[in-house]
Amino acid sequence: MRTARIVLVVLGVLVMAFGAYVLVTTVRPQRIWGLATWLLAAVVLHDAVLSPFVVGAGLLLRRTGRTLGAGVLVVVQTAVVLGCVLALVVLPEIAAKHHGQKNPTVLPFDYTTRLLVVEGVLLAVVVVALVIGVARARRSPRTLVASTTNG
Amino acid sequence: MASPNRNARSAVVWGRLLGVAFVVCFGTGVYSHLLQDPLPWMRFPTRPVQLYQFTQGLHITAGIAIIPLLLAKLNVVMPALAQVPPVRGVLHLLERLSIAVLVSASIVQVGTGLLNTYQWYPWPFPFRQVHYALSYLIIGSLILHIASKLPVIVRYWRARDAYDAEGRFVADPTVGSELLPDGREARPAVGERSAAAQTAGSYPRGLTGRLLRWVDGPAAPAARAEREARPGGQVRDLGTANVSAEPRLGNGADAAEAGRASRPEQDDALSGPRQRIARRGFVAGVTAATVGVVALTAGQSNRLLEPLNLFGARQRHVGPQSLPVNRTARAAGVLATATAADWTLTVVGKDVTRTFSRAELVALGTATADLPISCVEGWSQVASWRGVRMGDLLASVQADPASALRITSLEQSGGYRVTEMGAEYAADPTTLVALEVNGETLDLDHGFPARVIAPGRPGVLQTKWIGKIEVIR
Repeated sequence: MRTARIVLVVLGVLVMAFGAYVLVTTVRPQRIWGLATWLLAAVVLHDAVLSPFVVGAGLLLRRTGRTLGAGVLVVVQTAVVLGCVLALVVLPEIAAKHHGQKNPTVLPFDYTTRLLVVEGVLLAVVVVALVIGVARARRSPRTLVASTTNG
Repeated sequence: MASPNRNARSAVVWGRLLGVAFVVCFGTGVYSHLLQDPLPWMRFPTRPVQLYQFTQGLHITAGIAIIPLLLAKLNVVMPALAQVPPVRGVLHLLERLSIAVLVSASIVQVGTGLLNTYQWYPWPFPFRQVHYALSYLIIGSLILHIASKLPVIVRYWRARDAYDAEGRFVADPTVGSELLPDGREARPAVGERSAAAQTAGSYPRGLTGRLLRWVDGPAAPAARAEREARPGGQVRDLGTANVSAEPRLGNGADAAEAGRASRPEQDDALSGPRQRIARRGFVAGVTAATVGVVALTAGQSNRLLEPLNLFGARQRHVGPQSLPVNRTARAAGVLATATAADWTLTVVGKDVTRTFSRAELVALGTATADLPISCVEGWSQVASWRGVRMGDLLASVQADPASALRITSLEQSGGYRVTEMGAEYAADPTTLVALEVNGETLDLDHGFPARVIAPGRPGVLQTKWIGKIEVIR
């Protein structure tokens, strides 16, 4: 294992060094500073915006999980995760289209309407699951096992 | 932040998938880069003709799949982000720096890559060069990351080594994981602090702990309900019994002490099925997100998924002659030159140079080929092309059909105005100077009066509005 780790470390450092070499030889220094800001912004975005959001959503689901069945909770969580990831992919697409297409075959769809429809369907799934879950919980007041999500 | 999903095994599982996706993107990306900037000695396969359509479609699809996988992995390892103390020494500092490079470069790479497929570039650096350089930084830091986590990866590679029969995570403090239940992570001094943390139950101290307790509600009723829900009365219920009794006794330090001491046990007793459900819920969520986001976009390059293409940046069959366009004649500035009546194609051999009018080319142009247009941005579509074989044109200037070529477009500017074509493509019988597509004269936006079409090459090299073909080797 020790040999494997040493080989990997050397290889990793070499590959990174090649990447850095490609960067400084093909991109002007001033543009590299632009990239550095973006790299830093990515970490800040993750640590300061995304993580707290995910933790908050997780806590909310965990709180809900006290009264709802595991199946319901999994359905809700799955719909929420899918909805969030789709929004993450499609919102920039809407912004890009708003910014201007180079020609009509680029971004040909009405992405706003499509996203609203899909998110609407997911929301309906969540609502139906919650209604069923609450109804079941009332009928048999059994507290539930699982927080199926991340606190 | 404790959660059944945030353990070393989950980190290995999501890390594996993410690693595979990164390697796929890296391999297909380097292939695409080399097709555009080959080293002098390089030759590429021209068969299957849809090779590049496949590799680049895979590149974009895997890149989109990385988005949910990366989010899952970052979510799983979140506790390690806030580890105390933040740095345990020089090696640990270097390791964390390499992870910072890996994380930030991955986010920028995937984010800018996605926006590139939307043809939107709101950043202060050149996309292609940075995308290429970052790919090596990512793969390099990924290799470093694997090197530093190798003992953890080996320890938790298989599910049966990671979970006991009840489905509980087996915490092994000897491999140095930072993702173990409270008090058992890799820490410099396993002293009073972590011991205290263990006996105090699974909640951290302070505000976080109070918040989590509120979230989970009072422990006792939950435990009681759990016991009542299982009237069969399994062995583990013995463990919870005295906990649920505790609030009713509720007098004196002994009971409180007993309750506190047994709290971890109670957690463990509940946590087998509970952990399993939590993990499966998380897997279900990420799988749904990955499958969903891929299925709803991959139709731009995959015929089977075409009916599901709700959010792809392109739609097949949308465009002039039912074929999408990347660069229009207007954008390339060829509206006048490409439609000029005196347009000719100049073919320069070693000793002989000939010019062809469009009428002459049409008279020669009897060859057909079904080849895909495959864009570096991921969309692709097969079309039927008709025109003159490149090899025949080269023979007409007494050049070897297997010659390396330089092809110049009428475009006024742009990185692909002048491109080179390897001998293997020039000699291929399906490589055409195309004059027609899908039975019609080429649309101006598809390269009228003549364009190049060759098997297995990126769309940017399928030069439109060509003016000159030169033999260079």
